[in-house]
Amino acid sequence: MKNYIIHRMLMMIPLMLLISFIAFLLLNLVPSNPAEVALRVGNIVPTDEAIALMQQELGLDKPFLIRYFHWLWQILHLDFGRSFIFRTPVLTEILNALPATLYLAAATFILSLVISFSIAFLCVLTRNTWVDKVIRCITFTLMALPNYWLGLLLIWVFAVYFDLFPVSGMLSFNSVLLPAITLSFVYIGTYLRLMRGAMLNQLQQPYVFYARARGLPESRIILKHVLPNALHTTLVSIGLSIPSLIAGTVVIENIFAWPGIGRLCVAAILGRDYPMIQAYILLIALLFLVFNFLIDLLQLKLNPSLRRH
Amino acid sequence: MRLNVFIWLAIPLLVISLFVKADLRDNQLDYASTKDIADINPHLYLGEMAAQNMVFESLVTNAVDGSIKPHLAKSWQVLDEGKRYRFNLRQDVSFNDGEKFNAQAVKLNMDAVLANKARHAWMGLVNEIESVNVIDDYTVEVNLFHPYYPTLTELALTRPFRFISPKAFINGLTQNGITSNAGTGPWILKDYKKNQYATFVINPHYWGEKPKLAAVIWHVIPDRQTMLMALQKGDIQLIFGADGDMVDMDSYENLANTGRFTTLMSSPIASRTIVLNSKRPITSDVKVRQALSYAVDKEAIASGILNDSETVADTLMARSVPYSDVSVKTYTYNPEIARKLLDDAGWRLPSGKQIREKDGCELRLVFSYDTNNAVEKDISELLQNDFKQIGIALDIIGEEKQTYRDRQKTGDFDLQYSLSWGKPYDPASFIASFRFSGHADYQAQLGLPDKKEIDNTIGKILTSTDIQKRQQLYQWLFTRLADEAIYIPLTYSRTKVIYSQDLKGVDFNVSQYEIPFEKMYFKR
Repeated sequence: MKNYIIHRMLMMIPLMLLISFIAFLLLNLVPSNPAEVALRVGNIVPTDEAIALMQQELGLDKPFLIRYFHWLWQILHLDFGRSFIFRTPVLTEILNALPATLYLAAATFILSLVISFSIAFLCVLTRNTWVDKVIRCITFTLMALPNYWLGLLLIWVFAVYFDLFPVSGMLSFNSVLLPAITLSFVYIGTYLRLMRGAMLNQLQQPYVFYARARGLPESRIILKHVLPNALHTTLVSIGLSIPSLIAGTVVIENIFAWPGIGRLCVAAILGRDYPMIQAYILLIALLFLVFNFLIDLLQLKLNPSLRRH
Repeated sequence: MRLNVFIWLAIPLLVISLFVKADLRDNQLDYASTKDIADINPHLYLGEMAAQNMVFESLVTNAVDGSIKPHLAKSWQVLDEGKRYRFNLRQDVSFNDGEKFNAQAVKLNMDAVLANKARHAWMGLVNEIESVNVIDDYTVEVNLFHPYYPTLTELALTRPFRFISPKAFINGLTQNGITSNAGTGPWILKDYKKNQYATFVINPHYWGEKPKLAAVIWHVIPDRQTMLMALQKGDIQLIFGADGDMVDMDSYENLANTGRFTTLMSSPIASRTIVLNSKRPITSDVKVRQALSYAVDKEAIASGILNDSETVADTLMARSVPYSDVSVKTYTYNPEIARKLLDDAGWRLPSGKQIREKDGCELRLVFSYDTNNAVEKDISELLQNDFKQIGIALDIIGEEKQTYRDRQKTGDFDLQYSLSWGKPYDPASFIASFRFSGHADYQAQLGLPDKKEIDNTIGKILTSTDIQKRQQLYQWLFTRLADEAIYIPLTYSRTKVIYSQDLKGVDFNVSQYEIPFEKMYFKR
């Protein structure tokens, strides 16, 4: 087990190196001159002298590989460079924005879990009746809607018409609910499908027949016996959705004026803020690798038979 | 069973409703912008001009009638035939950190700007200032290398010649940041949360008339639709269409029709034009450029897309802009003349085809625009249809800002938009930019045989002391550009404002980039 963990952790290093190289390479292939971009985003007229000075300042006059290794060396010292747009260290900007995204992602995750489990429970209780069919139909329809459109629709109904929430920003606790609800729709559908399937599968197991034979009510059987067992099988998919949840806040953060890394990323892409884009790619890649690893560990913990392989 | 369903659905709604609270504020204006105020150091270009204008002031101001009014300088004299400007400063002004505003503060600020000349290359005045001398505590002189006629106009602009407390300088400079946003203006930046909001409160020691509002809260809402809904809900009370394109006309009219908001439009302020690249194979022919000019149905753009919110433009600058009331060739919508010009240029329409050809080559043009702009896509599509009527295929490319600018800089376009900067930048600062390679105007004019003479003339205009001579030079410049059909003037844009009916005193500054918050108040 220990060897496995060390092996997996060591494997992350070449993977991250590969990702960092691809990120650096791709952004260097973009036709815009980063020196000129850096000047333009600062509203400075990119005269030839100013471009030459900025190229020197950014080290763009050096060969590609030297620049890459220099960048990598800086990253190892937690220096991701300075943002072209904000003129501040990239790491500071990301660390300032990350809590807002994590807060939104956590709210979305909890909301998705609570709602999808509740609906799954309801669907299983009423399985194959019209209630089950209608709930699933509505859920999957909502899941298929583009979330920017859904976000605007929810703002209109719940913030403007019913005046229940602020339209945008992160000023009070209830500001997180609308963006979290919007984001959660995609995950509610996914989790519902997984949970419902897993619970129905569990309902075929002998222990359920035994529980029924004992005269336990159906709802209690599902809540107390079926649900915990179904959770084990859905845990992997749910865990893997966490990094994509963090990476997927981009559009919603813009619509709800949420000051997280998603908005930072959009501003960076539109302004060609290369140091910021590169750092964002690395961060998201790292999140996916770490969560993959953690979920694998969790699976090993829950299913001892896997350890033998 | 039904009860169970009801309970499961009701619980989340109950939880949600627990967190609902009212949003009450007192005499505070909530304004929303798609952009953060960012670093408002007025000696740099990172921050929003409207916010910079609230905190930092200039020696003089530009009036609507084109005249220059006193501000931090109560009077001035122009000496040595325009090479020396002596300013007599107000003596009752302090920066909001307690530092006195005097001649020394003016010199330190102007020297700090001049120490960073490369950043202000767009502005002629920065390159013309030889020195700034303190005469006495409240008299300061600005010495120029040559007489430069827009001196006072450029000193009044929002940046860079605005005054920061010398206490806030870092090592005597401002180019690497400032330690505080201490200005002399009517507002103080009290609270700021990046990408979220900024709170401006009244400067209690302001030398002039104090604002009536207790505070202005600048909310950052990047999505335009969300911003409109925030207004409808009452979370914000003002949307001020800086740049002329913050609000599209449909939303503007829809909100106006609800009867819950007041709408206001400035007088025509800047030119919305299409610039034609004289260095590209097809558009290098003046006949083709003229044909394109005749083919555009400007009335349809003004009424169909802009709902008559902008007036049709025949000349590059509106005639109300200084030095621009000149007689030049104009091109009114006439597809027949356009077709004839294309025939004369050798672009014929083969039978059975819809696109003209010459030497086996199709008459196909590239038109790129910035997707950030709310109306440019619609106008592009209308132009595409207009050009199709005379046998021209227009490939429209909507691009994000930087790609659009890259194309602009390399001249990789046949047509692009060119928005002038409006008053008080027009015409002097705008034509000055024709000489810089990063501008579409420069690239588009590059194919003209007398581009060098055009640039020299612009230089002469800016340093001419004789008004008559200056007018003649402007006449020559505008005539050349019109004869060569480098621009297709479309409309003169106007700044649009939508605000709560309780808000009063909403008005416009001369510059479309400034918002006169200090004049606004709520009806009690």
